[in-house]
Amino acid sequence: MNRPPLRRALLATATALALVPTLSQAKCDRLTQVKAGEINIVGNSFPALQHIAKEMESCTQGGLKVQFKMTPRAREETEQAFASQGRSPFDAAVVSMGVYANLESRGQLQPMTDLVNKYRTRYKLEESMLVRVNGEVLALAFMQNAQNLFYRKDLFDKHGLKVPTTYPEMLAAARVLKEKEPSIEFPIAQTFAKGWDSATEFANIFAGFGGRFFKPGSAQPDFNSDAGVKALEMMKAMTAFMTPNYLASNSDDVMNQFQQGKAAMGVLWATRAARMDDPAASKIVGRMAFAAAPAAVAGGPSATHLWWDGVVMPKSLGADRETVFQVLMEALDEETMSKGNDLTIWVRSAYKPTRFGSGVSASAKAGAPIWPMQPFFSLAHGEIGKIIPDVLTGAMSPKAALDAAAAAYVKAAAEKGFIR
Amino acid sequence: MKLGSFLRFVAPSAALMLLLMALPLAVTFFLSVRNCALKMETVTVVQSSPFGQREVTTQRAVLGPDGRPVTECRFVGLGYFRTVLGLGGIEAGAGSPPPEASGAGSAGGSATARPQRSTEFIGALRFTMLYTLATTPFILLIGFALALAVHHVGRRWQGPYISAALLPFIITPVVGALAIKWLFRDNGLVPHVLSQFGISVFWMAQAWSAQLLIIVYGIWHVVPFAFIVLYAGLQSVPQDSLEAARIDGASAWQRLVYVTVPHLAPLFVFITMIHVMDAYRVFEPVVVLTQGAFTTSVQVLTYYTLLDEQNPYKASAAAVLTTAGIAVLLLPLLVKTWKEHRRGD
Repeated sequence: MNRPPLRRALLATATALALVPTLSQAKCDRLTQVKAGEINIVGNSFPALQHIAKEMESCTQGGLKVQFKMTPRAREETEQAFASQGRSPFDAAVVSMGVYANLESRGQLQPMTDLVNKYRTRYKLEESMLVRVNGEVLALAFMQNAQNLFYRKDLFDKHGLKVPTTYPEMLAAARVLKEKEPSIEFPIAQTFAKGWDSATEFANIFAGFGGRFFKPGSAQPDFNSDAGVKALEMMKAMTAFMTPNYLASNSDDVMNQFQQGKAAMGVLWATRAARMDDPAASKIVGRMAFAAAPAAVAGGPSATHLWWDGVVMPKSLGADRETVFQVLMEALDEETMSKGNDLTIWVRSAYKPTRFGSGVSASAKAGAPIWPMQPFFSLAHGEIGKIIPDVLTGAMSPKAALDAAAAAYVKAAAEKGFIR
Repeated sequence: MKLGSFLRFVAPSAALMLLLMALPLAVTFFLSVRNCALKMETVTVVQSSPFGQREVTTQRAVLGPDGRPVTECRFVGLGYFRTVLGLGGIEAGAGSPPPEASGAGSAGGSATARPQRSTEFIGALRFTMLYTLATTPFILLIGFALALAVHHVGRRWQGPYISAALLPFIITPVVGALAIKWLFRDNGLVPHVLSQFGISVFWMAQAWSAQLLIIVYGIWHVVPFAFIVLYAGLQSVPQDSLEAARIDGASAWQRLVYVTVPHLAPLFVFITMIHVMDAYRVFEPVVVLTQGAFTTSVQVLTYYTLLDEQNPYKASAAAVLTTAGIAVLLLPLLVKTWKEHRRGD
């Protein structure tokens, strides 16, 4: 590695220092009626969040001290804190919509409608950021995510294949690549790992077949239906084109198979897209392209779900509500977002989409639904994740497995009081 | 010793044991015979999000006058124990009439829930036992072999050798399991090397290899513990006995079998007891290495109940059963230790 000569280093430092005043304008400096004290916020750890957490922690105006706790156990810590009898130890949290759904169903969220109205112009709050229930704002969303199609454009071009818009087309393309492309032994890679991952794949394809998880207006299961059987049969058909290790393939493994050039297509999280072009980890830089997740049936909706991440406040917090809100909004403003434009797929309209985020917007345009938000959904999802390996390995028939999962779900939902 | 002074000596540690060991167990048991759930009501609401607006029928907690969700608790007896063991379960909503639930039709009422649940627990128990029984002898043997080797290499090499041998034990289990997974997954080092010899194995694709991986991980992770305990033990083998044996014409093998091993016997029992307790709670490799494919452990089921189902009451029943399982496994060893203790008096 070449070390820059001393003079150049000094020059660079001087330039950087000269730029500081312009940069500091983006710092947290618009707070009004600040109540001094400590503000504690909790969230998971990923690049986009690190970016906004840094902005929150830069709020030191008027004796303020903001601490952002990043932990892989953010979900558990948030749910425990927001459920506490007294004041919540965290004054705000960054959550995915699954966690939001749980908190909302338990009535543990602080309504923010008045604050949104008061600060709407100052922070350019957009209607699409506001998560409302019956008009009341309970969360502000800042980024979105979805599983969408990753495909090797170079190989598809080489063999004259068109981008699959349905799962049957994907299987057909996989068959061609398996036969004709010497570098690809297993054309499809998807997260079929036992548990959460494969249950999420099931949910996507099941929704694509028009299935519904619950009987209308109740918590009674309805996923042991024809659509459920079709979804499992589709997953089983895909395994013929996947590495035999599919039952242990999570997002990391699928990403690795793509990066190593061992798989040619599959539906994976958009947040992994940029890693395809990371020269330190990928052998296929610039060769992966992104499209809408295929539909399960021709003419059907894109078989995936849309997710958002946002900020919430607990019903009872120790710090001053209005100050906390302003700190959150400082970090979600347009400037902070623009500085981290390429980190994720932002909700704000000023976001300039990169090619890595193109699959999400394509999926949304192709009719992908929103991830189910019923508080009992995670119980059904969990039971489905347990039975999928038995179906894929042929130990159980799809219908019998889904019936068993439905029965186990009914029990778990009854224990939690969702079914009486 | 007089009873009074004996009690005074023992009281502090007895109090600590009550506080730190007996009390948590009692609390766990108390939780396991109860069930609390939020009182839910069905509501239809309009939800707006970045993806648009829609009307949804869902459930929401009923809030009390203080604005907090209303919780309903009741005694369920051994219902959760039966659920965990797959023998049935608690009846839904005792004391409140079951309205729409009973007419729910083909989805399967709680009566059909048994087959899946029981196989799940039995499968987990079977693998947990296999793991415990398969790892223990290898850990003792390899640990002892390593200890002997270090004991006999020159002083100069002992330090570095011990540090290197302890590494697997020092590494965080999750990290260790991840490292082993990366060695064996697609494009990993082991499949790559094997493919050079024309051998193709997909390690997570069938039961025997997935289970073998976890067992190998378990041995790799715990051998250093056996090694360091036995190495310490070797330092205390009486030299005069060894010398006497040598003068009597005993071979190196005979000295090992008739002097060294009997001297270390209590340590072998100690390592076995500690490892059986640990192994019965095997968790990280199952979650990280195979993601539970072909391998589920009792502890993973408990974790699922606690965090995914968010049901601390059922999880408590599972925890009590785990403790009982460990006690059963340890019983023969405890009896043996007790007898030796009595004989020693």
